[in-house]
Amino acid sequence: MRDFLMGLAFMVLGAVVFSVASQFPKLASLQYGPSLFPSLIGGGFLIGGLVLSATQLPALRRQLAGSNANTGKVFDFRSILVSLVPCALIVFYIYASEFLGAALCLGIIMLVLMLIRKTSLILALSVSIIASLTIYFLFSRYLLIPLPEGLLNFWG
Amino acid sequence: MDALLLGAQLVFNLETMLVILAAAIFGVFVGAVPGLTATMAVALLVPITFYMDPTPAIAAIVTTSAMAIFAGDIPATYLNIPGTPASAAYVGDSNLLAHKGRARETLGMNLICSVFGGLFGTLILVFVSPSLAEVALQFSSYEYFWLALLGLSCAIFISIGSRIKAFLSLMVGLLLSTVGLDMMSGAPRFTFGIPDLMAGVNFIPVMIGMFALNELMLFYGSSNEGRELPSLSKDSVFKQAPRHIKAYWPNMLRGSSIGTLIGALPGAGADIAAWIAYAVGKSRSKEKQAYGTGHIEGIVDASSANNSGISGAWVPALVFGIPGDSITAIVIGVLYMKGMNPGPTIFMDGSGLIYALFIVFFIANLMMLPIGYAAIKSAKVFILTPRKILMPIILCFCIVGAFSINNSITDVWIMLIIGAVGSLLVRCDFPMAPAILGLVLGTTLENSFMSSMLKSNGDLLSFFSRPISAGLGALVILLWCSPLLTMAYKKFKNSRAEKAPRIS
Repeated sequence: MRDFLMGLAFMVLGAVVFSVASQFPKLASLQYGPSLFPSLIGGGFLIGGLVLSATQLPALRRQLAGSNANTGKVFDFRSILVSLVPCALIVFYIYASEFLGAALCLGIIMLVLMLIRKTSLILALSVSIIASLTIYFLFSRYLLIPLPEGLLNFWG
Repeated sequence: MDALLLGAQLVFNLETMLVILAAAIFGVFVGAVPGLTATMAVALLVPITFYMDPTPAIAAIVTTSAMAIFAGDIPATYLNIPGTPASAAYVGDSNLLAHKGRARETLGMNLICSVFGGLFGTLILVFVSPSLAEVALQFSSYEYFWLALLGLSCAIFISIGSRIKAFLSLMVGLLLSTVGLDMMSGAPRFTFGIPDLMAGVNFIPVMIGMFALNELMLFYGSSNEGRELPSLSKDSVFKQAPRHIKAYWPNMLRGSSIGTLIGALPGAGADIAAWIAYAVGKSRSKEKQAYGTGHIEGIVDASSANNSGISGAWVPALVFGIPGDSITAIVIGVLYMKGMNPGPTIFMDGSGLIYALFIVFFIANLMMLPIGYAAIKSAKVFILTPRKILMPIILCFCIVGAFSINNSITDVWIMLIIGAVGSLLVRCDFPMAPAILGLVLGTTLENSFMSSMLKSNGDLLSFFSRPISAGLGALVILLWCSPLLTMAYKKFKNSRAEKAPRIS
């Protein structure tokens, strides 16, 4: 079931890539324009997705025809939601770092992730503070990366 | 000779030696912590190497990858969890030996085989690459087109698991490679009006997303910390080694040869090299039935192969700019950033950088012996380092590392999106190596095709007009037809087997 859905998703992606590529400008002086490779890739997605879905059809039919029609767990949604926490924290960094500063945001991210995995508060807090300051000063002072200072700027 | 001396000067200075030492310790640490892969270690290193001189930057990558591949054997032996995928082939044997109280003896053999395999692969790299480069100097866009296509095809045909999934993974990488301004017309493709995408997708945030963020997401998606206090054995590391070497030296040689060869094939890394060497070793062994029951012979085969594969992967990367595995795919990007354009001309450069690289390979592999020994002795520290503390720190390195490449938040978005997509694909058993190869080789493939078409006024037959080009083209077509040929051969063999009894 999972592979069948992935196959369908790739077919949709292929169709989108193909239609976007068809809008790329064509130049009279070039026989093969900028749309050639993206179109081939779109076609590859379509064919690959079709084959992936088609190879899953017999198994899918068997599952659906079964008396208990147990299609099984396609995805474990709870684990997927928890696995998205790091992504959510990156989005938090992208939007909050300008105001809060990189060091503070990194500290918050580490603290949240450690607490999710039931690390003791004192250990999580101390590791977060030390690690975020180390990363911040390593990159901003030693490697001269302009990480946002945020609130640190106000404290001088 | 002057270039060799210059190369030695580039390596034997305090900065480079300190970088090698630090990279060795970092590599051992990452390799020995289950869930952190050698590729992830290298991807995390790149933002830091960005600010180093070329020699220490390359030295850091070479040393880290070699050390991480060996160190992956430590948790494999004690916990039955391979530290890196390259240790997966013989994890069962290693762990069973550990249960018999022979963990250090096993790790000692792992270490010796890793050093031997690494040095063997390096020797091949040193002696074969310059000769290959002389041939490669004759190559034009036609040959590079076929080489890129051969590399991409290998990525599909060699990958473990479903070929159709490997193909789709490759398409994802190729799609990413088309983002940005078109080389011929200057038309923007898939840039969505974002100025940062005009120059294309930077491969470093993609690597960090695919290999580091992806692992993080998988870790948080599972509830298993995978950590139980093992009983650490106190046996001698090297006492039994001479006996094993005497008995299994042909396996070391065979494993190293297979590893170097497989490593040099695009898309096949140290992990596939180890699996194949283990399978070949088993098929040729006098004690086939002992494999998988805690037998040192299989470990010798595969452990030599995975480290020689690391060196072997550098041959096509340096000579043709075609990566042999995910690590060399990252390395190619680093080489470009450092002004060392991979390709045959790298060997003609008189600055000594290529000799520095060879020397670094020897040092990294020799240094593995003392540092690996210390790692075996202090295995407990690595095994018990809790991932719940490490993973949040790694996420912060990912964010800052992706940002630091162009000082652009767009790269953090790219890392995030690729990491999320990569995690979904890995959950559905899609291999990641073809996607990386697609991203790295996509531009070479398209540019060489377009250049060839311009030169030949769109004549597709021109791809077969030069002898080497025609040979490479025939090889690619043969590779594509190989499933059909195999099927036809099996059918022919079966029909003959059916006819034989009737005749008799």
